[in-house]
Amino acid sequence: MTPIVLTMTWVAFLLGMAWYIAVLDGLWAAAREGRQPRAPLANPLYRCATILRQQSNLTEAPDLLNWRLAPALYAGLAGTGVALVPFSSASVLADLEVGIVWWGAVEALTVVVVFLHGWSANSQLGLIGAYRYVAIGLPVMLISMFVLIAAALPAESLAVPKIIESQHELWNVIRQPLGLPLFLLLGLSLSFRGPFNYADSADLADGTASEISGAARLVWEFARLAMLVATAAMAATVFLGGYLGPVLPGPLWLLLKTAVVLVLLVALSHLFARISPSRMLTLIWIVLMPLAFIDLVWAGLVAL
Amino acid sequence: MSVVDDMAFWIFALTAIVSGWRVFCTDSMVRASFLLLASFIAVGLIMLLLGAPYLGIATIFMMGVEMMVMALFMVMYMMNPAGLNPMVMVHQHRFSIGAGIAAFVGLAAVMLVTDFADNPVASDARVVTDLGKELLGDSMLIFETAGVTLLATMVASVILSSRSGRFGPADEGSVPPPLEPGGQPAGRLPEEGGGHGHHHH
Repeated sequence: MTPIVLTMTWVAFLLGMAWYIAVLDGLWAAAREGRQPRAPLANPLYRCATILRQQSNLTEAPDLLNWRLAPALYAGLAGTGVALVPFSSASVLADLEVGIVWWGAVEALTVVVVFLHGWSANSQLGLIGAYRYVAIGLPVMLISMFVLIAAALPAESLAVPKIIESQHELWNVIRQPLGLPLFLLLGLSLSFRGPFNYADSADLADGTASEISGAARLVWEFARLAMLVATAAMAATVFLGGYLGPVLPGPLWLLLKTAVVLVLLVALSHLFARISPSRMLTLIWIVLMPLAFIDLVWAGLVAL
Repeated sequence: MSVVDDMAFWIFALTAIVSGWRVFCTDSMVRASFLLLASFIAVGLIMLLLGAPYLGIATIFMMGVEMMVMALFMVMYMMNPAGLNPMVMVHQHRFSIGAGIAAFVGLAAVMLVTDFADNPVASDARVVTDLGKELLGDSMLIFETAGVTLLATMVASVILSSRSGRFGPADEGSVPPPLEPGGQPAGRLPEEGGGHGHHHH
């Protein structure tokens, strides 16, 4: 692909997949309430229009710079995450030798940006959401880094294309069975959905997003979807062989795998309840973190 | 080096210096932490330009986590709820001005005196692989000793500093300070017996 086509594919992938998640969410909500979904495909667009027509809100003495920047930075981080994903063997927007480390930086900066978003509004519910998010978001990030390092081991490289190449024989999801499930939790945490929604949950009246409306809210909600797209595309690439697959062209395989991972993520976010932050912290540090260690040791032993 | 690279270098260099300087002018611990993060990100991007991708991105990654944790811990251990209350970020003015000037002169002297290497690395050199071999080969003992020492220091300092809480020693049951000198502790007092069912007489 030429750079222009590649950039357009990247934009279309982000927007299209974000719309796809919104549609899935709408269908799920309708099914749960036992009603017929109304215009499920156009509904996300109506919602965009509705949000845009809202007056934008202002709190008393916010840190205006950080408050305005946070949604855009969050969306930008999601975009950089997707840029790491190769659409086929020769077409990747950010062909970095250390792609996995870059993804780690995206995760780390996401925690910073979400914290700043809640902190800068100068409102208590936002602040509580911000603190809770940091407490949960950082250890979940550690878990994801361990499973990603494990996935990089058989490839003997930190570059994402090399990790795909190493999966010609066997996908990482089979070679390292703990990796994908643990990585999916990161997706829920990075975009704070369902059981990992500690930043913008209903018990905090939307938490870090409790004070925003209008364009800022539109960008924020889009960024949450885009971040889920980025994690799903990364999961499909690192654990499910990315563009590898018979008959169909590479980009289509990536699209299909990402779509399947997203169905899984949407189901997880609607099926599981959120537990209190302190209990979730115990679960993360006592159960999930050791599982990530086992995954890493397993990968190391296999690589030996 | 192309013009784009040159421009990028100057933009990042300027960002690093200006945001580093603003750290000391802001009045909030959270802002100070993240201004420092901005400075480090700019330095990390300069390292990318210098052809050290692992070190550059690892700097951004590590500093992101570190500044986040630092901001949170500073707010936790200081009398400044949420870090939004204005607060002076500098102290020991005379000493710090002296230390600042000494450090600047020292580093500038090192920069002027040192004979920097001038042999550009070939573009196909496997710098990340070489770095990995170095860190986990000859330098492994130094690297691991430093890492474990830092971790032990962090754990120990948290344990030591968290005993004396804002409202008294943590292991004796902390009590909020009184609103008037010598008065009752502020806030709701724990009830006798403590259990449920005693409230409804």
